[in-house]
Amino acid sequence: MSLDTDFMVKVAYTAIHGVPVTLKIVLVALLISLPIGVLFALIRIYRIKVLEQFVKFYVSLIRGTPIIAQILIVYSAFPSLLNTIIGKAAFDINPIYYAYIVFTLNSIATLTEVFRSALQTVDKGQMEAGLMVGMKPRQTFWRIIFPQALISALPNIANATLYLIKNSSLAFIMSVKDITAIAKTEAAFNYNFLEAYLVVWVYYLIICYCAEVIFYLLERYFSKYRRPTKKTTGFNWLPFSIKQPEIEAKTDLTESERTNHAQN
Amino acid sequence: MLKIEGLKKSYAGNDILKGISINVNKGDVISIIGPSGSGKTTLLRTITTLEEANGGHISFAGVDNDFQKLNGKDIHTIRRNIGFVFQNYNLFNNKTALQNITEGLIVARKVKKSEAEKIALKALERVGLTDRQNHYPSQLSGGQQQRVGIARAIALNPQVIFFDEPTSALDPELVGEVLKVMQDLANSGTTMVVVTHQMNFARDVSNRVIFMADGYIVEQGSPKKIFENPSEERTKTFLTDILANV
Repeated sequence: MSLDTDFMVKVAYTAIHGVPVTLKIVLVALLISLPIGVLFALIRIYRIKVLEQFVKFYVSLIRGTPIIAQILIVYSAFPSLLNTIIGKAAFDINPIYYAYIVFTLNSIATLTEVFRSALQTVDKGQMEAGLMVGMKPRQTFWRIIFPQALISALPNIANATLYLIKNSSLAFIMSVKDITAIAKTEAAFNYNFLEAYLVVWVYYLIICYCAEVIFYLLERYFSKYRRPTKKTTGFNWLPFSIKQPEIEAKTDLTESERTNHAQN
Repeated sequence: MLKIEGLKKSYAGNDILKGISINVNKGDVISIIGPSGSGKTTLLRTITTLEEANGGHISFAGVDNDFQKLNGKDIHTIRRNIGFVFQNYNLFNNKTALQNITEGLIVARKVKKSEAEKIALKALERVGLTDRQNHYPSQLSGGQQQRVGIARAIALNPQVIFFDEPTSALDPELVGEVLKVMQDLANSGTTMVVVTHQMNFARDVSNRVIFMADGYIVEQGSPKKIFENPSEERTKTFLTDILANV
């Protein structure tokens, strides 16, 4: 078996037009679902009546159904629903909007749980300390609790984002012209499926890798307060090196003391 | 200055505080001692409304009301005028030592940032940690964290500072530095209420000792009276037990 490399290059050129589409789906879904996820997590933590039941139900509903089923339902329900309201124009709507809806609804459920667990990792003494220096609960939440929770949440947000990127490839079912859809169409013309799929594979790999690096850097930036002050010999997982900034060795603690504190 | 009458608190049917009355005067350094579970910590937490009281009256800083009738403004006033030093320090983990102190000043008291930093540096100087101002709590030892905790409380210039077992979470060799800071504060006339197991501190630094057991104040008086001539049997037993272990 030999690969048609010329064809692969051709697919790569065409499929690159799908990259912005994929990124758009991911970014829109993330930007909308992040604040809503925080809100839903708070509703669950503070056990706000009625709303709490709604959030619980919503999260189980989304998490308990395959994303492909959600896509099929949204894609078949919404256009006919809109058809009864705005008439034929409903079928001219760019299908990417349906993708926004499905992936946003999906991310909200995931991120609600991410933030719920992250907010619970912050010691309740932090809130009490805030109140005792005269801050209001809301001020303490945004200035003290949330920044700490965000750091605990980052690895899981990264995880959710990677799933979102990969899941967005299912948008082709809604005839959204993303990377996958373009490559599939190309492949269907020439019957070079393997080559086209390999290109798709590489594109997603690159996008996911970039996302990983971005989250890694965000995590480093935001967790400066709990970074160990001694330079550790921990392995650097980046396959090719991004220069690690020098960390100043400033500490009054022995290694064991610091580990103890980190666990507190 | 701070007057509490008939303070009651119960958790799930268990009475923790069974009607406590306390009077704190300006300049008082009061030590509250007593066996574990006697309600000492709960007392401080209920007065500051970190825990909800089930009964009792408070008059302090212009608030004169039953605990159960306190509104948001009253609660804010009470907390504003009481400094609190926690057993587990509870420094803001995402803020440096300096920011831990300026946070309350800037956000709650609306002090200008430069002004707040000046106040904070002065407070850090009093606890001997000026050189640690840019360290995060995770980079400080327990004793240093607690000293920042104390600096955070004094910077807000409250009428009274509550200390909730400030040295209980510390390694034995770090207790001294914290007690030293507290002693300096006491000497400078700061009004303090200290829940403590450090009998030396209670005896040597405070001007009044309150002995609590089972949710009641069993007896109170000068350190001399409590330690040398307690009138209640419970106090005697407690002191004999605890001093035997020192």
